[in-house]
Formats: sequence, C-alpha cells, structure tokens
Amino acid sequence: MIEPISPELQKFYDVFEGVDQTKVSEFKDFLEANAVNFNLFKDGSFIERSFPFDMIPRIIPKAEFDHLEAGIIQRVKALNAFLNDVYTEQKILKEGIVPREYVDSAKGFLGEFMGVVPPKEIRTHISGIDLVKDAVSGNWIILEDNLRVPSGVSYPLTIRRAFRHTYPEFFESMKISKIKQYGDQLKAAMDYVNTGGLNVILTPGRYNSAYYEHSYLAKITGATLAEGEDLIVEENEVFLRSYNGQMLRVGAIYRRLDDDFLDPKEFDPESLIGVPYLASAYRTGNVAIMNSIGNGVADDKGIYYFVPQMIRYYLDEEPILSNAPTYLPYYEKDREYVLANIDKLVIKDVAEAGGYGVLFGNRLNPEQREEIIGMILADPRRFIAQEVIEFYDLPCMMNGEILPRKADLRAYVIHGEEISVSMGGLTRYAMEEGNYLVNSSQGGGFKDTWVVEL
Amino acid sequence: MTNGVAISVNTAQQLYWFGRYVQRAETILRELVKSYDYVIDRDVDDGRKLYAKLGVEIDYRSACDFLKQGVYGKQGGSIESIITWARENAIETRHLLDERGFAALNKIYNHISAGRERAVSPTYLEEAIDNFALILGIFSSELGRPKAYNFIRLGQQVERFDLILRLYDGIDLVNAELESMNAIGRRLNRNYQPLKITSSSIPKALSAVNGVIDRVIVKSEVASESSQRQGQ
Repeated sequence: MIEPISPELQKFYDVFEGVDQTKVSEFKDFLEANAVNFNLFKDGSFIERSFPFDMIPRIIPKAEFDHLEAGIIQRVKALNAFLNDVYTEQKILKEGIVPREYVDSAKGFLGEFMGVVPPKEIRTHISGIDLVKDAVSGNWIILEDNLRVPSGVSYPLTIRRAFRHTYPEFFESMKISKIKQYGDQLKAAMDYVNTGGLNVILTPGRYNSAYYEHSYLAKITGATLAEGEDLIVEENEVFLRSYNGQMLRVGAIYRRLDDDFLDPKEFDPESLIGVPYLASAYRTGNVAIMNSIGNGVADDKGIYYFVPQMIRYYLDEEPILSNAPTYLPYYEKDREYVLANIDKLVIKDVAEAGGYGVLFGNRLNPEQREEIIGMILADPRRFIAQEVIEFYDLPCMMNGEILPRKADLRAYVIHGEEISVSMGGLTRYAMEEGNYLVNSSQGGGFKDTWVVEL
Repeated sequence: MTNGVAISVNTAQQLYWFGRYVQRAETILRELVKSYDYVIDRDVDDGRKLYAKLGVEIDYRSACDFLKQGVYGKQGGSIESIITWARENAIETRHLLDERGFAALNKIYNHISAGRERAVSPTYLEEAIDNFALILGIFSSELGRPKAYNFIRLGQQVERFDLILRLYDGIDLVNAELESMNAIGRRLNRNYQPLKITSSSIPKALSAVNGVIDRVIVKSEVASESSQRQGQ
C-alpha cells in the first residue's frame, strides 16, 4: 500500500510539475562522475556499483519527525546505558529484566571487556536505527538497531548537495530541514571523546563496499583516513605513522570494521586489516574507539526484544516508539507459537545482517519449512520470529513511471556531548514490486529524506 | 588537543603517484596526438620511435590504429592503464582532493572505459589533454590542503623530468629546473636532502630523479605486525 499523500508531499509534486524534468538525468551523471558507489562482491569479483537513486524524496512532516526524533534519542540513550551496565555491574541482568542467558549467549557480548569504561562512558557514538512506517496503524516501528558500524549516511548527504544544485526550486519554496551539519556534529563527537591526538577514520580499504563513505566522512570531519597498517600501538598508546617518520598520537578512532577484524592479537588472528594491540590501548582508556568494542550485544536481534524493557528500566519512561511484535523461540511458549504460525512470520537469523538470513514463512515450500523448523529446534537462540509488518510503499520513479516500492528509513544518531538525530536519513527502497528487503547489499536503491515544515 | 589532518606513508605515496600518472597521461596524450599527425603524412614509423624512447614496443597498421593501440593496447603504459592507475590513486586519496578535479578525472576514465569498441577520436584526446591540464590547475587552486597538493606537485614534477629525460635527453633542462622540485621536497620534509645531478648519464639521472620520493617519505623500519612494547 502506498503512503497517502501528505500536504508536504503534495507541495513537492506541485513544485515538481513546474521544474525542468529533463534534468533528472543529471543525478545519474553526478553519481557516476563522482563515483558515488556502494561496491559489491559478486561471484568472487569486485564490482564498482553506483548506488541506484530515486529522485522522489521520502517526505516526513516536521511534527512527525519530532516524534520520531524523541523516540530515537530515548532508545539510543537506553541502549548506551545498557551497554555500560552489561560491561560493568550488570544490574539489569541481576534484576532479571534481561535474561542473563540471552546476554551470555550473544555472539556480540565480549566478556573479556568486562570492566572497561570508555571515555565519557559513551559506547554508541554513531547509530543507525532502522524503521518502517506501518500501513495498518500509521505508526513508525523500529526494525533494528545498528550500533556497530552503521553505513549509508554519506549517500543522502552527497545527493542533497546535488539536489540543491539541480533543483534549487524545491529549497526555495519548501522549508526543508538541513542535514549538512552532520560532518560538524560527527567531528564534535570525535573531539568530545578524544583522549588527546588525531581523530582517525579507520577503513578496511578501497575494496570495502562502503569505502566511498569512509573517504567522504574523513573529508567532512577533517579526520585522517587510515588503514590498519598506518597505525601502531606502543605501550598502549596508538600512533599514526606519518610520511615524514613522525609518530602522531591518535585520540579517537571511528572504526569502520567489525570487532572480529579490529585487532588480530585480540580477535581473528588472520585479520590483515586490523591494528595489533588496539584492544589493549582501548582497555587502558588511551584511545576512544567509536563505536565501542562489544556493542554487538546490544544490536543482537534477540536483545532487540528487550529494548522497551531497557527504556523503562534505565530511563523510567514508556517507549515512544514500538518494536515489531517479536517472538523468541528460545522460550518454550514463544517457540510453540512460532512453530504453529511459521507461515505468517518472518524468521531472522540473529547472527546475520544486511538482509541476509531473513526468511518469510509464507514463501517457504514444505521442505524448506521443515528445514527451518529443524534449525529452530536445534538452536532456538539463533532465531527470532516477527509478525510481518505491512509497511508502506513509497512512490518511486522508474523508467518514467511512478511505481510503488517498499521502503524503510535509517535514521542516523550521533552521541557526543548531546545525542542528535540527523534531520533526514537514508531511505532505502526495494527494486522489485512486493520485495520487503530494501538493503543496499540486496541490490536496493536509495532516496533522500526530507523533513518538511509547511 | 593536537587535532588536524595527518598524512600517512600510504596516502603520501598515493598522492605522489596520482600526480605522476596525471602528468604522464597528459604528456603521453600530447605526444600521441602529435605523433598521429606525423604517422599520417611524415613518417609512418614515428609512433614506433616515440614508444621506443619510453622502452615500449608498439605495433600498428595505420594512424587510426596507432591511436587505438596507444589508448587501449596491451603494451605497458597504454593511456587506459595510466588513467586507471591515476584513478585508483585518486579514489584512495579523494578525501584530500578537490571534488571537481576528482570528478573530471573520473569522467575521462568513464569515457575511455566505455569507448573500447569504438574508434579513438583525436578530437576527444585533445579535449582530454585540456581536461588533464584543468585537473592539475584545479588542485593548484586548493588552499585548504597544501601538504596533499605538494605531494601531487612533487609527483608531477618528477614525472615531467622523467619524460624530459626519456623523450628529449634533456638533462640540462632538468638541471635548470631542479630547484623547483627541491623546494617542494624541503616544504614536505625539513630533513630533505636536495637532489643534484652531477652525471651526464641519462640512466643515472633517471634513477636520481625517480629516487626523490625516498628523500621525502620515511618508511618505517618497524614491521607492521607487532610493535607493542608491553613493558612486562
């Protein structure tokens, strides 16, 4: 179902009718000329791929966004409190609000980092919160919290500039919230936790799917873009090897690689993209790592179930935004329901991300259904099940026609001295009609997101 | 707090090679178009002679084929490969580059990559020469990142001297301009030892000019695998 046209979207269409529509092709030219890529590895080959872009933005009325913003800030505040607690006193586990076994069995929980307190007690420096708008209730629903390495923010930031150049008419006649302060906010957040020295963006390198973004973020924050081999740890302090032989102290690292690859001495010894002994430097508090090591426990798909309880526990508030109705097959009662209703549910593998490991029960043949039931029974902690959310389609311009496509929203949150939500976000849409998987790694495209005040 | 942008060894090398490849693309394109005219009406072997000076063998059947081979041929140093290398270095350093300059280079790359099956247009190549000059000009107008620009300039200057020596045996010309390169070296590294070319041997001069980057970039002697001194 397509989202009803709001007065704000109607305003967009009104302006659109009056502009030179042949200029739409300029966006494609811009993205190609600037190599704005989301790269893919397919069949063992590296493919440079422009990220498909649709020029009709997702438009969110300002009042609606204010509500979203409050709910997202509340959620990130609670998740940060949860991480601080779970790596120190574990009060929430002791009081039984979140079951200990769920934390202990979470792949992202790194017990060896118990007692480590990061600079300023911030662990969720940059979050990507995935939401959809439920077509039945009209409410925004949280689908996922990404607290490790959420990507995608560079695409709306990049395209917004192109939009302003190509079609200034929209910005002259509509009150669209600005997003360009994101770079300053990210820099301020890096400075806030910096322990003295350079701000660094640590990238796995040019063949990473989001390398464009790493480079872009270095540019807009003025941070130094570095690969693992550019950094060295000496006596638990991190240094960047400068070209002239100087060793420059590093105070904050926005790492764009997962924990597993971050430090071959601590995690995967085969990692060639990490920095040996970086985890030791982090433990001693000599460097801020953004996001913190071990955040995976809080964005585990199983732990997601408990976020509303975390909000009540840490903040003493009612959650402003809802989760999707979720079942944990780990518990017998939920397991019985899931097995009896598997045809109506979405089954998610908690260890997967990027749209992988997501199965729609109604699309499984009998053999597949039996297989997944067997897997759930064998390892119930590995799965969650959710009711299918009938979320809105958005209008997308495809081959000259406006067609409905499923779309979500990733909101970007920066936790520095304050917590701020970027006044836009990345709207991702599926290429095929009826496809619920909108992820970039599943071939989806993106739209800009405009927060509009009439 | 000591904040600001630092340049790592890898980034410095990529900026330097970016400058070299852009300069190489511009100069070789210029020579290619000039030689194309000669192949048409003066000396059918002019293209072969040009590439022999660069230490490369090239074969062609006609002036048009000469252009095709120069741009897409399998011999080392085709225009397509030079531009690909320039772009690779630009991608890895684009956070320090002017966006318009990056986009201009990428457009040339896209055009050349898409044109493999078509005849090569000398008019397009002339436009590309102008665009390379424009790219280098854009970077020279960048005020915010002077260190990054100096690495590009150093690469340009080294490449220029290299090609002057290879194509024109111009050892005197290089010597006369050496100070401009040394000035960049000093700006990048205060311990830089100025280069002097005392030999009249072209191979020795080439080796000296190409070794300048090692006077600027100090490569760590510590293995990257482990340098943690735990003190325990």
